[in-house]
Amino acid sequence: MTDRKSAEDRGRTDSATPGPLRGLIHFTDLWLTILIVIVCGWLYYVTTQFESVSALLTQNIGPEWFPRLLIWTIVVLSLLLPFEHLARSSQTDSIDKDRASRIKPISIVTAILMLAVVGMVHLFGTLGGMISVCIALPLLWGERRMKVLVPYVLIFPPTVALLFTKVLKVYFEPGLFGFGIGG
Amino acid sequence: MGIDALTLGFTLIFEPYNIFLILCGVLIGVIVGALPGLSSPMAVALLLPFTVGLEPIPAISMLAALYCAGTFGGSITAILINAPGAPPAVATAFDGYPMAKNGEAGRALGLAAVSSVIGGVFSLLVFLVATPLLAKVALQFKPPEYFALAIFALSMLAAISGKSSIRNLIGGGVGVLIGTAGIHLTTGVERFTFGIPEISDGIHFVPVLIGLFAMGELLTQSQTLNVTMERISSVVIKLPTMADYRKIKWTILRSCGIGTFIGILPAEGSTVAAIMGYNEAKRFSKEPEKFGSGAIEGIAGPEAANNAAAGGAMVPTLALGIPGSGTTAVILAAFIMHGLRPGPHLLNETPQFVYAIFFAMLVANLMFFAIGLGGAKLFSRITLIPRTLLWPSVFVFSMVGAYSYSSSVFDVWVMLIAGIVGFIMNRHGFGPAPLVMGLILGKLVEESLSQSMIIYDNNWFRLLESPIVVLFLVLTIVSLFWPLFRRMFARMKRGPE
Repeated sequence: MTDRKSAEDRGRTDSATPGPLRGLIHFTDLWLTILIVIVCGWLYYVTTQFESVSALLTQNIGPEWFPRLLIWTIVVLSLLLPFEHLARSSQTDSIDKDRASRIKPISIVTAILMLAVVGMVHLFGTLGGMISVCIALPLLWGERRMKVLVPYVLIFPPTVALLFTKVLKVYFEPGLFGFGIGG
Repeated sequence: MGIDALTLGFTLIFEPYNIFLILCGVLIGVIVGALPGLSSPMAVALLLPFTVGLEPIPAISMLAALYCAGTFGGSITAILINAPGAPPAVATAFDGYPMAKNGEAGRALGLAAVSSVIGGVFSLLVFLVATPLLAKVALQFKPPEYFALAIFALSMLAAISGKSSIRNLIGGGVGVLIGTAGIHLTTGVERFTFGIPEISDGIHFVPVLIGLFAMGELLTQSQTLNVTMERISSVVIKLPTMADYRKIKWTILRSCGIGTFIGILPAEGSTVAAIMGYNEAKRFSKEPEKFGSGAIEGIAGPEAANNAAAGGAMVPTLALGIPGSGTTAVILAAFIMHGLRPGPHLLNETPQFVYAIFFAMLVANLMFFAIGLGGAKLFSRITLIPRTLLWPSVFVFSMVGAYSYSSSVFDVWVMLIAGIVGFIMNRHGFGPAPLVMGLILGKLVEESLSQSMIIYDNNWFRLLESPIVVLFLVLTIVSLFWPLFRRMFARMKRGPE
């Protein structure tokens, strides 16, 4: 009785969930499975578009054979996900704890900022990108001490750039505006 | 393999330049290990691009040194502020932090340092003996055996200490699938390239590793900005007394064995070893009730085990080309990056390689012991680095590291996307290590399976003609169902309720 109750609790089924399925299916994981199956379905479709090669060359092991095998394996494994909670331990329970709270806006803004910086590397160069990150990310994360931030921005990115360009001989993109250190 | 190779390995490492690189690896390792959030695999991944211009032996030595030191570094913050710098130090905090609260921080750190070094050196001796032997056995391996071995390694993902066996296996499968992108070697057909020329020769390991380990963690850290780090009072390490040694000697010895064995198992890592080391220390203790409130065996057990696992994990990595842990998966990627494929053939042709890495890790162990003793005060203040500057710096290193691998902005995009996807996957219980293991083993799995199928004319059952294949498949089944067995054993142990 206790086991059944805890299984129901762990199922995290909403009160709106129809009766017979309550406790049996973990609905967050069900959505995850659906997503994985959709992606796998699309990837399977992509494998059907691979160039066809003569059987003589492939020896019955075509280029699509192994990826398809993997896709099927992933699909089969993912079908187990909605039921995994039924055999859960305290360790697996922590998955629900981890995703219980929504992703904070700061994380989304951080990701967007990182994408924007990399997107602008062609314009401002690699060094420009580094400087932008060193200004924007600390500010976004709440750093307001200018006596810490200014020396950091002035010293850290140029040092990294010099290390890579002069010591490791990496060529950095100067960007459209030539803002950078050449290789 | 012989005395010549041993001497050559020794001379290769004991060059001032290489010693300097090992010292750098150790310093970075201790710092990274001590900083909560930064992990050894992340640091090794971030350091990879720096090693592009180095010769393979110094490069791998530096990364191996970082691996050893990072495992120890985690114990510093685990003991001082109850915030394990790295996952393998989680068990150390159970008794280390209560000791620190009781005013015995220096003694706890001393116990951790001594146990770590003994564990590390013990496993290296095993590594020295076992690697050539294992490589000799592996010389007999043909594609079917390699396929079975790789499948066994991937199946071990089910048993590792992640949150979910199924998720670990899916992660491993996704990693292998990512590894299939690019031109198919046998037929020259492009797979999953989506018209992007940069993917033609495959998705590079390094940006994916950096993205998964560093960017994923950066986004995770952005969720916890309101958490403030405790300020630490300065401490001086105290070496254990003779009475301490008498009390912990069997615990250390037991943990050395456990850690080395766990390390040698493919995919298992230091975290599992540390937890097992702690549990066994408690089980064999005369005063188990003291565990959790500052028992010295509670520090010696996990510390000896997690450092022993580091040396143990190098055995399958070098002898078979199968990573023994998440960090060694990244080290294996470093080998590949330097144009080498670890395994029996590499060891047969260049045995000095094993000895060089043995000496590098030995030196690293001695260095982190000395650094730990002398620099505890300094390292205990590492957590005072503002996170608002630390993580932007990690991003800069990630960006530049991913870019410098092949001077391509495309790789930076790969790194970022891997980071964002890794962050989302992590929230749903998919850790980065299984995906990395899959990515690293992907080529081996596909090549060995395809070759086996060609040899056996597509007849799967003929794989069973080899006893080694049968052995690995049996082990695969055991490891796949191990979580189930474990629960059954636990239930049987508890008895009927």
